[in-house]
Amino acid sequence: MPTHDLVIVGAGPAGLAAAIYAARARLRTVVLDESVAGGQVKTTHKVSNYPGFPEDVKGTDLAAAFARQAERFGATIRRAVEITAHDLSGAVKRLELDEEETVDAPAVIVATGARPRQLGVPGEAKYRGRGISSCATCDGAYFEGKEVHVIGGGNSAVEEALFLTRFARRVTVVVRRGELRAEAASVEEALAHPAIEILWNSAPRAFAGEGALQRMTVEDLSTGQTREVPTDGVFVFIGSEPRADLLKGLVPLDPAGYVLAGEDMSTPVPGLYVAGDLRAKSFRQITTAVADGTIAALAAQRYLKAAARPAA
Amino acid sequence: MSEHVKVITAADFEREVLGAGQPVVLDFFSTECPPCEALAPKFEAAAEQFAGRARFLKIFRQENRELAQRLGVTGSPTVLFFDRAGQERGERLGGEDIKRSAIKARVEALLGDA
Repeated sequence: MPTHDLVIVGAGPAGLAAAIYAARARLRTVVLDESVAGGQVKTTHKVSNYPGFPEDVKGTDLAAAFARQAERFGATIRRAVEITAHDLSGAVKRLELDEEETVDAPAVIVATGARPRQLGVPGEAKYRGRGISSCATCDGAYFEGKEVHVIGGGNSAVEEALFLTRFARRVTVVVRRGELRAEAASVEEALAHPAIEILWNSAPRAFAGEGALQRMTVEDLSTGQTREVPTDGVFVFIGSEPRADLLKGLVPLDPAGYVLAGEDMSTPVPGLYVAGDLRAKSFRQITTAVADGTIAALAAQRYLKAAARPAA
Repeated sequence: MSEHVKVITAADFEREVLGAGQPVVLDFFSTECPPCEALAPKFEAAAEQFAGRARFLKIFRQENRELAQRLGVTGSPTVLFFDRAGQERGERLGGEDIKRSAIKARVEALLGDA
């Protein structure tokens, strides 16, 4: 007998919502994550648009609450495990953990989400952890009284720029367009903030420094001219890219690498579902991830019931 | 915390890291840092695996700012690798995606350099 009824890969909002539904349906459910629970939410300093929280909630608290709720109904969450081998194509799907343990189940929901996209400019890899970061809650305090740049103009960029003003003397947001795409409420706050400056129509082209990051080359996209600006730290929030490694060659992907799935989160492989940010869709929010997870768990439950019933 | 991971301060750095006589893996961590929490169990597992052959140390960045600055560490977690002679070697690991297998590979490389 397989070790579980359902294996969920990824303990972000999609995976944990699926776990809540699956565990309440009494499916033997395990959630695997390379990190601690929460996905990208856990490094978001505050969440203002998740229903049920009339005051802002810290991303890390929201993530912990999702996990507690899933565990309360009997789901097991395995933290900091690495999937070292897998076969998701058969009737029973197997995943090897840390080269020393195997879990298997007839149904799997892959909810591995997305990782922060990188700029892909010279010096970025070299100075990651030496001045370049994607986590303001982790690294903001390193820049007390310093001058930092935030790259990007979406919700994350603007929200995290506001957060960084707690530490940094000045926060300069470098944005490709002539406007910020973030929610109007955050944009208004950022534009009015005395410690925030915006560098419009601009993009970083290179990073440099002796040992740690000290300078960034910025191109003015309206004139094509570049110049070097001094900086102590750069926080990159330019969106995300799918973590679909587990599914490569197994399910159809869109040109950007996101998984194409049915309305019920199913893939062409029976018993294999996807949910959350790694799915091809128009909007990636915590609420939409939670909806995906719910649907995937209900669809998997229906699939398991049908599979258990002897053929008439 | 695992018995194989020791928490040090900047004052111990010379003795524990530079004078260890063994490869050293040093993790700069912070509070309110989910990637640091995520690293902890992997770091402990690796420490156990290399017990007696390499030392696994952690240092709390907030209370050791000067050392972090001197080493050019600007994020948490940041994992540094030192050879037997106390020389820092190879690329540092940082951020959320530090894999246990990556730590293992680097320590094995340091042990192989004997």
